[in-house]
Amino acid sequence: MDKIELHNTLPCVFEGRDVQSEIWLQDVTFQKGSTYLVEASSGTGKSSLCSYIIGYRKDYLGDILFDGRDIRQHRVSDWTSIRQHSLSLLFQELRLFPELSALENVQIKNGLTNHKSLKEIEEWFQRLGIADKMSAKVGRMSFGQQQRVAMIRALVQPFDFLMVDEPISHLDDVNSAIMCDIMMEEARRQGAGVIVTSIGKHMDMSYDKTFRL
Amino acid sequence: MMSLVWKLLRQHISIAQFAGFFFANLFGMFIVLLGLQFYNDVKPLFSQEDGFLKPEYLIVSKRISGVSMLGESCGFSEKEVQDITAQPFCKSVGAFTASQYRVVCSLGMKGVAQMGTEMFFESVPDRFVDTDLSQWKFDPEEGVIPIVLPRTYLAIYNFGFAQSQSLPKISEGIVGMIDMVVVLRGNGQEQRLQGKVIGFSSRLNTILVPESFIKWSNAKFAPEADLTPNRLIVEVKNPTDDAIVKYINQHNLELENDKLDAGKATYFLRVVTVLVMCIGMLISILSFYILMLSIYLLVQKNTEKLRNLLLIGYSPVRVSLPYQLLTVGMNAVVLLLSFIILYIVRGYYMNTLWVMFPQMQDGSLLPAFCLGFCLFAVVSIINIMAVRNRVMKIWNRKE
Repeated sequence: MDKIELHNTLPCVFEGRDVQSEIWLQDVTFQKGSTYLVEASSGTGKSSLCSYIIGYRKDYLGDILFDGRDIRQHRVSDWTSIRQHSLSLLFQELRLFPELSALENVQIKNGLTNHKSLKEIEEWFQRLGIADKMSAKVGRMSFGQQQRVAMIRALVQPFDFLMVDEPISHLDDVNSAIMCDIMMEEARRQGAGVIVTSIGKHMDMSYDKTFRL
Repeated sequence: MMSLVWKLLRQHISIAQFAGFFFANLFGMFIVLLGLQFYNDVKPLFSQEDGFLKPEYLIVSKRISGVSMLGESCGFSEKEVQDITAQPFCKSVGAFTASQYRVVCSLGMKGVAQMGTEMFFESVPDRFVDTDLSQWKFDPEEGVIPIVLPRTYLAIYNFGFAQSQSLPKISEGIVGMIDMVVVLRGNGQEQRLQGKVIGFSSRLNTILVPESFIKWSNAKFAPEADLTPNRLIVEVKNPTDDAIVKYINQHNLELENDKLDAGKATYFLRVVTVLVMCIGMLISILSFYILMLSIYLLVQKNTEKLRNLLLIGYSPVRVSLPYQLLTVGMNAVVLLLSFIILYIVRGYYMNTLWVMFPQMQDGSLLPAFCLGFCLFAVVSIINIMAVRNRVMKIWNRKE
């Protein structure tokens, strides 16, 4: 997948409102290999945007296209394949499994494609400073720790685009920087596009383009 | 990795609910299978024992009183036959035709005659005889008469005659191998023919031969005899009809084979079996309902996990699989256990039945197996579709 296009897209709930946005009701293209920042205020539909692109919700007007193909046409098998091989999303609400350990949360995703070795995964845990928590249940971890686990999980798959929805809201600057490094290393290795959203605090790195949502 | 998914999705599985389903289904399935199996095992005792006459055939004769012995005809006139035919309970009527000449029959082995007796033959129209008609014919060229004997004759021989004379007892199968020489005399002629016993009947109290033989022999040995039938065979719509008994009593007739019991017993057996199987089926359906509810509840409780799995790239097929395997696996174990219990229980009752009816043949378990597999397949397919359906609802955000 090389590009994600939005044509005149607008969440249904915003219909009829006076929307001032660089994303909604615009023609926007995200290219593979580039990095984007989507800055948003609360209630401007940031998480909706992520849900539309991952195929979780369809309550929008206008079109969203992957490589020119309307994603409304995608079937179940298409979405499964896209989520496994082309598009990775770090959910704002993380969507981890509290019953499983941190490592298991990563493994359950890695097992789909066997993209990363256990050694590589362990190294990431190490670098993010949660190696000692690998076998701890995610439900018992702080949100900041969970965010790091969720980031690792988002990276253990092949992808053309990586969307991260407020990835560092609960991290200090040091850990944010480490997370940013790891993310960009992997994105570059895969030649992927990166879309970061943020409400205020955002990853300190150079973006090819910044949108105001 | 499947084990991780399983570790996740087995959360909220209620052992109590599934145990409830398991035992209820096992119970229901076992009852259904046992009902069918028992019916299959016992049915031959009632029906196949007398394959020569169907249960809806009655044999009617006139009641013999002291007066009739002094000359009043005990035969049926044409008018009386027509009257019976016209009754609403009656489907068709056939007349017994008796041999009108002398018959001497001698039995022996390997051509040596051992005992002889005078006897007679009777026939009914072929359509009333429920046997393989290729055996049931007479050809004067061949000279072999197929004969059906009352089963009581064999009993009389085996338990009365043979025992007192230290003769070997014979089984039904061996009777067919016995030489039976039949000598017919009348009209100044005599002819020796061979008789062949092709079967026994419990309900037919006569020595039955094909109609073609009686016609041929009466024409040859007693051309001028009066052929008024003494007995009629009546095909009725429902042997348990009250109107039959009324009519019989009104016209001073007698039901010769008051042994409608077999027919009645088969009927009751069928009713009881169907009833038992319905109860079993009901239990099965209820247990199936429990299972469906348990699964819906389970999926409901694990909705969030299932949704997250789908969002990180698991296909609906893959996340449905653990629950599908779980239900199909349980169904399979239930099926297997039902078969095992059925086999054991059948062993017990078959032993008892064998003691009572030594001639009983060992029936097949196949129909019960087939029914069991069909139930298993149907229930499993519905389970698989239901789970898949639920997961698709989560996918489509309807849960």
